[in-house]
Amino acid sequence: SKECLNMDLSERGLTAGKLVDMKWKLGVAVCSDECKSLNSPFVAMTLKVADASGKISTHTFELTIPQFQNFSEQMKDMAARMEMI
Amino acid sequence: MIKMAAHCDFSSLELLMKASSKEKVVKVCNDVYVMGSSQSDGLLSSVCESLGTRPNETKKMIESLSSVLKTIIFHGYTEPQEIQSLFPKDFHKNLRDLITKIALDNMNTWKTHSISTQVSLPRLVDFDWRVDTKMASDSVSRTSVPTCILQMKVQENQTDVKTTPENHNINVELSKETLDTMLDGLSKIRDQLSSVARR
Repeated sequence: SKECLNMDLSERGLTAGKLVDMKWKLGVAVCSDECKSLNSPFVAMTLKVADASGKISTHTFELTIPQFQNFSEQMKDMAARMEMI
Repeated sequence: MIKMAAHCDFSSLELLMKASSKEKVVKVCNDVYVMGSSQSDGLLSSVCESLGTRPNETKKMIESLSSVLKTIIFHGYTEPQEIQSLFPKDFHKNLRDLITKIALDNMNTWKTHSISTQVSLPRLVDFDWRVDTKMASDSVSRTSVPTCILQMKVQENQTDVKTTPENHNINVELSKETLDTMLDGLSKIRDQLSSVARR
């Protein structure tokens, strides 16, 4: 992942909504049509994002556990980076 | 689910004996399990090439092999005898034992593949982030405020069998406070995960 420090928002030309809410669920897939016994955990998240006009859209998706751990680590890195500014 | 194997035409599996090496049989089994659920012509031609056989006779073999392998993975058999008992008593013993060994060797890989293609919400496939400073001003002062931008790539579920599913991007800006709240939630998930792992 890339990081750019001290770059003014307007230079990027990328419109990002504001994160207003994050809901999560930790699930365990018990079995599937292909596997009688799975015991496979996963994380599901719903993000609520408000655009410039205030309109809210929701996005729901799943992460595998390795993905979640990577995501979690990088969010910590991001917070640490923010402390440095 | 032993039913699955009972409907299988085991004699058609003997086509596998045309393979010139064990490695070819391994490849065929792997291709059949991984590609078997999509109606792919690619699978048929790949198997015909591996075995040097004609499409007509190969189709039947692929159906039977797919049925046997799916039964094995469904049950998650760990003992050779459990797998061997799926085959008819008069079935070619060496071929039976070879298929058994291949299935046991690939059990984890195939199970992981099954998990990655199972029923799911849209999946996060990638994400990227950057930290920026935002110039915030009121009538009195201008200050630079750190903010972060997170871009997430989510792959939708496939709607058309023939095309790869679309990715869509979610771009969000988070203030420090929002990020701290998110980190709080993420750490709760981590705690729950370790207690799930311990069970």
